[in-house]
Amino acid sequence: MADDKKAPARTKAASDYIKGDTDSAVFLGNPHIDNLMTIVIAMGAEIWADRQRMRIIEHLLSTKGKVTTEMIEQYVPTEEQKAAWAAERDAMAKRVYSVMARDTSGARPFAEPREFN
Amino acid sequence: MMDRRTLVGVGAAVTSALGALFTGRAAHAKAADKVKPAGTLAPRGRFGRLERLASLDLESRQDFLMSFRAWVNTELSRAANARADAILNEKGIPKDANLTQQEAIALIQDDPIVSLSTRTWLSAQQLMWNGLKEEFEGNADKYLSEMEAADKMGPGTLELNPNKAWPDYVKHEIHIQPGGYVGNEFAGHMYHYGTNAFYTGRNFQDELHVGAAARMPIPKDGKVRRILDVGCGIGQLAMALKERFPDAEVWGIDVGGPMVRYAHLRAVERGLDVNFAQRLGEETGFPDGYFDIVTSYIMHHEVNPSGTAAMVKEAWRITRPGGVYYPLDFKLTGAPRRTAYGLYRSWMDHRWNNEVWTLKFRTNGLPDMIRQAGFELNEKEPELLRGFGVLNATKPATA
Repeated sequence: MADDKKAPARTKAASDYIKGDTDSAVFLGNPHIDNLMTIVIAMGAEIWADRQRMRIIEHLLSTKGKVTTEMIEQYVPTEEQKAAWAAERDAMAKRVYSVMARDTSGARPFAEPREFN
Repeated sequence: MMDRRTLVGVGAAVTSALGALFTGRAAHAKAADKVKPAGTLAPRGRFGRLERLASLDLESRQDFLMSFRAWVNTELSRAANARADAILNEKGIPKDANLTQQEAIALIQDDPIVSLSTRTWLSAQQLMWNGLKEEFEGNADKYLSEMEAADKMGPGTLELNPNKAWPDYVKHEIHIQPGGYVGNEFAGHMYHYGTNAFYTGRNFQDELHVGAAARMPIPKDGKVRRILDVGCGIGQLAMALKERFPDAEVWGIDVGGPMVRYAHLRAVERGLDVNFAQRLGEETGFPDGYFDIVTSYIMHHEVNPSGTAAMVKEAWRITRPGGVYYPLDFKLTGAPRRTAYGLYRSWMDHRWNNEVWTLKFRTNGLPDMIRQAGFELNEKEPELLRGFGVLNATKPATA
């Protein structure tokens, strides 16, 4: 019976490769800050996935009056929807992340005193 | 409507049944090339030429990462470029100073926006690959079953040589793709969906490949009986060429076994008679003068200089007199990116995005190699892809 549970022998096409070292790269001075930046981007992708799903649910409810998981997963957007959702996606990326492009060359240290009149 | 995902559900134990289903899919897949009526419901199977990703969430995350990358490449890169110029200005260095790459890097690499532009670009690239890897490796049985079912099916052939000793230069994780082109069973799958970000969304109907095939020059005598796509990857150009020249014998070869295997899967489901083989461009195994057209698609910048030289010689050998050689790739002419930030970014691409050979590609003398092999070089037209190089050549009819 044990043999019945054996995984089938698989045809292999892959061979050995040389691993890169980009996972160990640190550009922001502290690997945890680099990790946090990756997390921030990943969270954007997760939020967009939810928003995309919501757009489809809204559309199906308004046009079909009902919604199932299968209907959501299988939905093929119209050209107009594709363009509109792509624009919304691009706008979200810009809205959320544009602060990263601000000029920080004039950044002031926390303890710097300032005279207020 | 039967699709690739549905077939997988049948299970690996019924490969013969899968085979029968695949046979029945040829016409179906061709019909599916016609994009479904918009606004209608369709199986999460095909959309035109595309086998859609297995879940809406994965597809949406990939789409977002594409948008994010585009934002990094525009707004954030412009800000980083401006900061780089400002840093040079602060140091009294002219913007157009003839800096070496390492000098430029040393000057600007510690700037917060410059380093952020690298971190964010690479993070998006890593997230994109990791999401795909998780899907395909996490459901390996399904995806391997699909490929095994298609391996021995036609109309085209598949040749795999995974145990051959391949040169080291092909083994790198180019574009930090996990396992590179040779080392992961799902390299073809990941490449297909991952490069959509590079093409900013114009990859899933093979848009650029179809365009390049349509503009491919042909021999002056008009005879196109055999075509070879060297370094064919997942076969997008080879298949597009078969569609343009349906009576021609079309071959795609690539050192990446998983790449040609995936190419074959796509050709089977689309009913296209294209032959794919895991072979080196330096040693194609074809007879002398066999092909009317020998081409490659953005391949040479992934090849080391000695490999490139050997491939050009091999192309000369297998191209028939009067035949066309078109190694489509990035531009070698025109002003290189000499701004400090441009130099920095090209280093980032080379060192951290693992574009291992791209810097040497720019200086390896490909035009001279083509000319010295005996080809008549043409550096003016036709442009197969807008913004890309136009190096192409003809083997003299008297050769």
